[in-house]
Amino acid sequence: MNRKVGILVLAVVLVFGLGSAVSAARPDTIVIGSGAEAVGLDPRLETDVPSFERINVIFEALVTFNTEMELVPRLATEWGFSDDGMTLTFWLRDDVLWHDGEPFTAEDVKYTFDWVLDGDNAAPNRALYADIGVIEIEDDYLVHFHLDNPNSFLLNNIARMPVVPAHHGERGDFRTNPIGTGPYKFVNWSRDDIMNLEAFNDYWGSEPIHPYVQFRPIPEASTRLLAFEAGEIDMYQGGMVPQELPRLEDDPNIIVERAPGTGYSYLGFNTKVGPLADVRVRQAISRVINREAIVERVMNGIGTPGVSPIPPTLPWFSDDVFDLGYDIDKARALLEEAGVWGEDLTLRLYTNENPDRIRIAEILQFEAARVGITVNVTIEEWGAYLSRIQDTEDYDIFILGWGGQLDPDRAMYRQFHTDGPNNYTFFSNARLDELLELGRTLDPTTQESIEVYTEAQQIVVENAPYGFINYTEEVLIYHPHIEGITVHPYSANSWQDVHLVRKN
Amino acid sequence: MFKYIIRRLLQLIPVIIGISIVVFMIVHLAPGDPILMMLGEDATPEDYLRLQRIYGFDRPIYEQYLRWAGNAIQGDLGVSIRQGAPVSMLIYSRLPATIELAFVSVLLAVLLGVPLGVLAAIKRQSPVDFFSMVIALLGVSMPGFWVALMLLTYVALNVGWIPMFGRGGSVFYGLWQLITTFDGSELYDGLRYVMLPAISIGTAMMAIITRLTRSSLLEIMGKDYIRTARAKGLTERVVVFKHGLRNALLPVVTVVGIQFGAMLGGAVITETVFAWPGAGRLIVNAIQQRDFPIVQGGVLMMALIFTLVNLTVDLSYAVLNPRIRYD
Repeated sequence: MNRKVGILVLAVVLVFGLGSAVSAARPDTIVIGSGAEAVGLDPRLETDVPSFERINVIFEALVTFNTEMELVPRLATEWGFSDDGMTLTFWLRDDVLWHDGEPFTAEDVKYTFDWVLDGDNAAPNRALYADIGVIEIEDDYLVHFHLDNPNSFLLNNIARMPVVPAHHGERGDFRTNPIGTGPYKFVNWSRDDIMNLEAFNDYWGSEPIHPYVQFRPIPEASTRLLAFEAGEIDMYQGGMVPQELPRLEDDPNIIVERAPGTGYSYLGFNTKVGPLADVRVRQAISRVINREAIVERVMNGIGTPGVSPIPPTLPWFSDDVFDLGYDIDKARALLEEAGVWGEDLTLRLYTNENPDRIRIAEILQFEAARVGITVNVTIEEWGAYLSRIQDTEDYDIFILGWGGQLDPDRAMYRQFHTDGPNNYTFFSNARLDELLELGRTLDPTTQESIEVYTEAQQIVVENAPYGFINYTEEVLIYHPHIEGITVHPYSANSWQDVHLVRKN
Repeated sequence: MFKYIIRRLLQLIPVIIGISIVVFMIVHLAPGDPILMMLGEDATPEDYLRLQRIYGFDRPIYEQYLRWAGNAIQGDLGVSIRQGAPVSMLIYSRLPATIELAFVSVLLAVLLGVPLGVLAAIKRQSPVDFFSMVIALLGVSMPGFWVALMLLTYVALNVGWIPMFGRGGSVFYGLWQLITTFDGSELYDGLRYVMLPAISIGTAMMAIITRLTRSSLLEIMGKDYIRTARAKGLTERVVVFKHGLRNALLPVVTVVGIQFGAMLGGAVITETVFAWPGAGRLIVNAIQQRDFPIVQGGVLMMALIFTLVNLTVDLSYAVLNPRIRYD
């Protein structure tokens, strides 16, 4: 028996001795370590960020956002609204090929959006495009979107929907074996392990610098960071352990780039029932949110204190709003005014298992106790939590966040319009409804548009259906031998220009 | 024996039906909704109703169950809501990684745990015994995810050829290749990826096996027939290994079998830390996304495998102890 064990140990040692000592990523491949696996690769069906990280490399939209958050041409060279704002016209590139060699035409554009708009198809984001009526093809490279309702911000949504090929779109396995127009084409995918992409040599833009791109999903942030530091992955994508950030920023072998993001987190108040129906109570709770401390201590300095529903990265942002900053004395005064001071006020706060949110809830619990409010915190699993917020009225306060707030309409209409589909606070204000409807019809580049949304922000902040906690900040981490990449306010990187990345 | 196996397999039928009903009910009655998870925070009521109809969640629950169960009997576990792929294919594609990790971990635990336990038992109260018991205590006390992170930080980061995450070649295929063509490259590639996850799972199991082997062997060594064997003048080696250990291994086999079966359900935490593409992650992600078909199909498959492993363990008793017969 002992001899047998000895032989086995020897065999293992021998086998291990055989290989050479290399595990670093190959020089011709850009390896992206991602926080989660993609659900699928069909732009019409996916709603999660990890799926779009990969989709953005394989597919392209008509227009896209650059790092300044301006719309720039991609598959369309030019675009414009008709004078009445009811027709949106795109002039398309005529030199684009699909990965199978077929030419890209207006037919594909019409096919993509018609498919999404067809109620019998399972496109989850149909509502973003609901204002599109008929899509008319004038010639192969000229297409008109006739709208049912004016919507000046429709372009932002179109930028989020890459075009799929009409001649492949109905194929059953399209979601796991896609054909696009992007700089890299799909090769193969072993779910939860690796996705391989290969440079598309007939790409219309500048030729991809490296022949291969790999996506490796590594769900555990500590492992992802270690793999990054060991050089097994070139770029770190996805959630960050905030406590690690100071160390990484001090490390000369690691580049940390930060940019203000396009999202925020907030306390949502049930304005329909209970003590929070009184605006003064809501304002008082907004006054006990210690935003600086939360950004510094909970988020380790990532992000900035929240002010309004529009992130500071957008031109519509205004800080000329009702002051609801952290002030315990003023919170107390508001509660006295509301006549609930000294009463035994108990509120139920719900959050999901997100560790940052749990810590924010604890801080709030402590601060609220200082003004005599008892906050009972319940932590729920994400799915159960989402059902509570979306399907019931059974909560006083909840913690949630919005991401990708690219325009003021998206940042306010769904959340605060009386008929807004995501109005979880049951907020209703006639003047605000009027402004939000008007804003949709205005040219977004005008001063008038800015004024409308400034007033809208003032109404929202003063009436406090939300208590704004913090704005997000995007963090991108890479090695100094990587060139041609910058942090993107939309998400750390959209990877849409990964073909321009050079690895030395 | 044959009759026994048939009877055990027939007993599986009500078990599987029961499990399928319980899983289906838990999945559908628990809070959380697959359509909401798909739509995320942006959900609109119209899109919600539309997708609910498309995926058939607007039907009564018994109707949904009967439809699902009817298909499952014919081997069709349905299609994943989120991934759009057949559930059976998704599970099948994960099994090699899961079985490989479970197998290597158990092998490691048994190869280290049994000898250590035997050594501790024969050299009772000696430094060797003390040392093995300290090892065993440490192994049981250290949580698997902590062992995993320590291995990553102190071993993988410093040893270039040990990867941080993912799965390399197939160990089983590599072994076959080594035997048939003397080419060890696939096996080497498989082993260097599997070893850290296997160690972090195997440590606790090794500790349990060590303690169990020691106590079980000590108990057996006090039995009359051991005294008889010694009185017959057999060498201590034959007494310990042939008469003692063989009987002492019965409880060890039970524990190893149960642990192995449980690991086939996926060692979720270890799989997550090492980004190992196993079945556990598939099912846990599906639970988070409320991808009902994967959860139902996955749990059903795991229950089936678990009961089959248990059957195998029961049958192996007869090999270890010929007095045990199945009629």
